[in-house]
Amino acid sequence: MTVTTLNTERKLSERFHWIGRLLEGWSIYRKSLLGKIGLTLVVLFALMALCSPIPPWVSPMYQPMAGVDPDISYSVGPSTRHWLGTDFMGRDILSQLLAGARIAFMVGVSAAFMSVFLGTTIGMIAGYAGKFMDNLLMRLADMIMVMPALLVLLMLAALFGQLSIWFIVLFIALFRWPGVSRVIRAQTLSLKHRPFIEAARVAGASHLRIIFRHIMPNVLPLSFLYMTFQVTSAIIIEAALAFLGFGDPGTVSWGMMLQWVWKTGHMFRAPYWLLPPGICISLITLSFYMLGRAMDEVLDPRLRKEGETD
Amino acid sequence: MEVWKYISQRLIQIVVIFFVILTVLFLLFRLAPGDPVSRMVDPNLTPEDAELLIRELGLDQPLWMQYLYYLKNFFTGHFGNSFHYGQPVVRIIWDRLPNTIALFTTSIILSALVGVFLGKIASWHKGERRDTCLTLGALITHTVFLPWLALIMIWIFAFKLGWFPITGMISEEIWLDPGAGLWAKSLDFLHHMVLPLATLFLIHFGSYLLIMRSSMLDTLKEDYILTGRAKGLPEKVIRNHHAAPNAALPVVTSVGLSLAFSINGGALTETVFTWPGIGRELVFSISHNDYPLAQASFLLIAIVVLLSNLVVDILYAYLDPRIRY
Repeated sequence: MTVTTLNTERKLSERFHWIGRLLEGWSIYRKSLLGKIGLTLVVLFALMALCSPIPPWVSPMYQPMAGVDPDISYSVGPSTRHWLGTDFMGRDILSQLLAGARIAFMVGVSAAFMSVFLGTTIGMIAGYAGKFMDNLLMRLADMIMVMPALLVLLMLAALFGQLSIWFIVLFIALFRWPGVSRVIRAQTLSLKHRPFIEAARVAGASHLRIIFRHIMPNVLPLSFLYMTFQVTSAIIIEAALAFLGFGDPGTVSWGMMLQWVWKTGHMFRAPYWLLPPGICISLITLSFYMLGRAMDEVLDPRLRKEGETD
Repeated sequence: MEVWKYISQRLIQIVVIFFVILTVLFLLFRLAPGDPVSRMVDPNLTPEDAELLIRELGLDQPLWMQYLYYLKNFFTGHFGNSFHYGQPVVRIIWDRLPNTIALFTTSIILSALVGVFLGKIASWHKGERRDTCLTLGALITHTVFLPWLALIMIWIFAFKLGWFPITGMISEEIWLDPGAGLWAKSLDFLHHMVLPLATLFLIHFGSYLLIMRSSMLDTLKEDYILTGRAKGLPEKVIRNHHAAPNAALPVVTSVGLSLAFSINGGALTETVFTWPGIGRELVFSISHNDYPLAQASFLLIAIVVLLSNLVVDILYAYLDPRIRY
């Protein structure tokens, strides 16, 4: 009886502690101007993505990919019917832009999640196991880090034909974990000899239990921080690939919209078409980057010293 | 001697990495769906010529022999003929290499120097308006989508204002004119280089600025800075001779880490500006299914990235006395 109450009490206080830490973090975060701007922009883009089914629902001519205005078969400027104008086939630019937001979130978040998951696991294993395993995994990381991901993806596109969006996401994740794993490894190394880990080992905890129960909670905030930076680089790689004409032909992404402007030679004639997708890609990258920097301040500015790659 | 050990270690690592890349590329070419022979042999060749080429590349041999042939051909520079140009691939990429190196190295050096300089200023005036403007500017230019920035640069400075040529690297009429001197030719080349260089510079200097700023802020908290102040050294000396050289080390590391990213950006820039470099050749050959050219340009780019990594490592060893002594 008393044991159970004690247990529930402890669980409650544990949970409360967790919420308290979050609130504390939020109060630091709120003071950062960058963080506020970044968060607002990310929410706006999320709203755009959520609104993407509305135009096709209003009228089939607003389908981002297949919908064509029956009266227009060339690019025209903004009007009440097409708020941002149409592209070279008479497709609505606004609905393409909204659909692009959905793709950007899908690519960014899923690739970032996968690469951070991989990077955290590999980093913890390398740091904890040490010696041969550490050497092997870190040399592998070095090797992947020097490869230009975009050009490798291009090469794969040449050999295997059109890449699907999920393949692209998976591939970006496979290419982006080394940066995360280096940081997590360093953090794990510093944790490895702390008394609480020694205590767990003496108490007979298995290696897996030590890694996932004792080390992981201490590196997760760092992984989470890295996720925001991974989102930006995943979005950029997908957009660049689509811009060069090797995106998934079944999706409308902002990079693909830019490719259409460029390839059909409208870039000097149709600013209403050239500007929105580029501004969107740049702003979404900027907002996730700002989010990351503000979160960095919350965690500890000294934790991330060299993670400024891309 | 420590420094030589360090560099030779890195050199061995780079050679190993390159062999892995070579092997993976070989396997990918054989694993991809479709006929590997058709990927290396131009479909427009006569059957006799095709037969000869197949023998030369060892495509009629078992896989492990093919791999040996592949290595031998790599080291003797036989990459076959480009399907599109009909010339040996080596000659094409050899032509393009200087153009890429000119653009790539100039942009990295320029953006690193300016980034370090501005980062130093931003950290020195931390919290002031100068710092806010520089940091915000760096954040924005750093995150702009590169191909889009390139298009906007062309639109404003080449199309609207007409200050620079829209695309290309040289003007034919100047370079074919026998009367034009070296001076006119190089001026023309530089004139074409301004926009692509400015684009790459804008994208890259921001990250160096941000790293330098935060590294400098850390350095300024060190004891030796306090000592310098206590000795009564001028602020300028402390900033430029005591703090900045030490703070610049992380920038060198980050140059190394971001090389792969820079070469991606280089390929995009070359493509948009039709700058005749290897990156553009790779994109072009891939969209035209010109496999021999794609393979060779990819390998050459890998070599460029690895060698520049080595250069950064040597630079680091030179700058960081902890490695030197």
